[in-house]
Amino acid sequence: MAANAEIFFEHDRWGRNLAWSLVLHAAVTGAILLYAVVIPSSRGGGWGAGGGGDAMGVTLVSNVPLPAPQTQTQNVLANDSKGITQSLPKPEPTQEKLPDAIPIPDKIAKTKPAPKTTATQQKTKPEPVQEADNVIPYGQGGPVSGPYGTFNENGAKGGFGFTGGGGDFGSRYAWYVKVVQQKVSENWLKYEVDPRITTAQRVYVTFDVMRDGHPANVQIEQSSGVPSLDQSATRAIQRIDTFGPLPSDYAANKVSVEFWFDYKR
Amino acid sequence: MKQFLKLFWPLLILMTTCLAQDWIKTGTGLGVEKVRLAVPDFTASTPDPKNADLLKVFNETLWNDLDNAGIFDMVSKSFYPLGQVGNPADVKFESWSAAPPSAAMLAFGNLGTSGNAMTVQGWLYDVKNVTSPQVLGKQYQDAATSDAARVTAHKFADEIIFRLGGGIAGIAESKIYFVSSRSGHKEIWAMDYDGANQHAVTHLNSISLSPRVSPDGSRIAFSSLAKGGWEILMYSLDLSRLVSFPRFGGTNLSPAWSSDGTKLAFSSSRSGDPEIYIVDSSGANLKRITAFKGPDVSPAWNRKTNAQIAWVSGRTGLPQVYTMESDGTNVQRLTDQGYAVSPAWSPNGQFLVVSWMRKYGPGAPGAQDIYIMDIASKQWVQLTHDGGRNDFPYWSPDGRHIIFQSSRAGSLQIWTMLADGTNQKQLTFAGANTQPNWSWK
Repeated sequence: MAANAEIFFEHDRWGRNLAWSLVLHAAVTGAILLYAVVIPSSRGGGWGAGGGGDAMGVTLVSNVPLPAPQTQTQNVLANDSKGITQSLPKPEPTQEKLPDAIPIPDKIAKTKPAPKTTATQQKTKPEPVQEADNVIPYGQGGPVSGPYGTFNENGAKGGFGFTGGGGDFGSRYAWYVKVVQQKVSENWLKYEVDPRITTAQRVYVTFDVMRDGHPANVQIEQSSGVPSLDQSATRAIQRIDTFGPLPSDYAANKVSVEFWFDYKR
Repeated sequence: MKQFLKLFWPLLILMTTCLAQDWIKTGTGLGVEKVRLAVPDFTASTPDPKNADLLKVFNETLWNDLDNAGIFDMVSKSFYPLGQVGNPADVKFESWSAAPPSAAMLAFGNLGTSGNAMTVQGWLYDVKNVTSPQVLGKQYQDAATSDAARVTAHKFADEIIFRLGGGIAGIAESKIYFVSSRSGHKEIWAMDYDGANQHAVTHLNSISLSPRVSPDGSRIAFSSLAKGGWEILMYSLDLSRLVSFPRFGGTNLSPAWSSDGTKLAFSSSRSGDPEIYIVDSSGANLKRITAFKGPDVSPAWNRKTNAQIAWVSGRTGLPQVYTMESDGTNVQRLTDQGYAVSPAWSPNGQFLVVSWMRKYGPGAPGAQDIYIMDIASKQWVQLTHDGGRNDFPYWSPDGRHIIFQSSRAGSLQIWTMLADGTNQKQLTFAGANTQPNWSWK
């Protein structure tokens, strides 16, 4: 009896445990708050931020000795290309006449006398022949179709041709000219030019390509007025070890090149 | 007047031809584009039944070589005009240069076997230039085997690339050395640049790492776990055996040849910390060039000048890429953050390629990718994206390709790509293959 009563009258001493529990909860809450509010300002700052690489940019791939990717046509639909298919007017449906069909006389038509034709009247004018002028080069805006020509790219205008006392290097070895053009363009580092310059006069550089393909006698023919641009143009040539040997069936021991650089930022 | 002209025409022509000074006038901004190249299948020039197999190998190899060169826009074969082109007489210029193929260049030829000898004739024509179209005409003779057909195709492809690529020799005959564990041990293996002909070079039954072939292609330096620890070993490809090279003590790793073949740089911990040392290729004149706290490993010479060395230093904690002169002066840090390893210098000396984890640490997306950096301007470009861990990049001798190891296919395998990040291809498939090294020519 007494034992039973003790169960009901004895109080649990849980005050101390409650206090510990409260302290622990408060500590955990505090830690979470601390983690969420205080630390991120110092530690999570790196997320998405550029991270101090202020002297670095991404404009490089053109300097890798690989041709740049082909420029895409801006809009396939809205350009002045005539397309590769020719649309012809629909042929008018001809009324088929059965061979044994008898024409229904709906009205007695007055038969007009056929106009007399003279020899001069019979001469019909020759119809102008419609030429299929819708042929466009494959890929549109792709490589130039001839060995030489003028064309635009990225706003810069250029042209190339060959002059000089009857030499036919350009027409015989168009592929070599292309190689020269490609190599110089690849080795021209535009970042060498004074960054304050946005546009400049064209600079003309002349040089010789010797028999084994190395450039020599690099000279500024016409300065752009911007020393750093002139220098970057000369360096572009000087940086090249070789263009590859001149074509083996070419007789002379060198070929002179005039190369221009259009700078635009 | 007419009489006068008639008299003087020959003289005028003579004068102009005598004074002929060829001038090329050209400039930038003219749209540098890939050459559109058509390569119709070579034809059989003899009725020998062996021709079919050899032609298949030859045509495939030639097409792949030119396609991989990175400087051509290959005209799809479905655009080609009907009929075979095996000889110059078969070329109809109009049908190749006009609309469907619109080719600028045409490579064609024939292959014939008689008995055990194979003869290949190949031409390269500028089809837009009807009057003097021939750029290249070649004839090759070799044994009538598929290996020889492959080698001949490589040679012809290299000739075309050399002409149209501006005097940079093609890489179709180059070799790749790498570490493979497919025999159970990590040994040095070799293969052709396109992944064909894979075979083991060393049989040491140890662990061999970081092979580096000498510029003349006669020896391979690599690090291997020997009795006394990690040492630089030298393997002669001419003799097919190890040749003597001094043991320096400590842990010696990652040898690198200078491009003149006279010196080796490597990292050694013989004095405690791993530091960069330079030694003659004979093993003499050991010289220490770094003295920083923290590890210094993975040296790479400037291949153009041999005057600078790029390497990896851990002085600030995580590894970063630095450059210095080859005497140890003028130290510059190139990477600004993250975890950057495995620098390799491009053949023209302008770029470094590195493997870089831009964000490293807990909570950061730990993608390890290949980057190239322009040394002078400190600009960089990321070449691989979102594809496993990419490491150990190395340049091809023409500077247009990069080989690297990647885990994107599940296991570590060797991949190749163009130096602008395009055209990524897996070369190895069996076992685990790592640490590729491209021969110098």
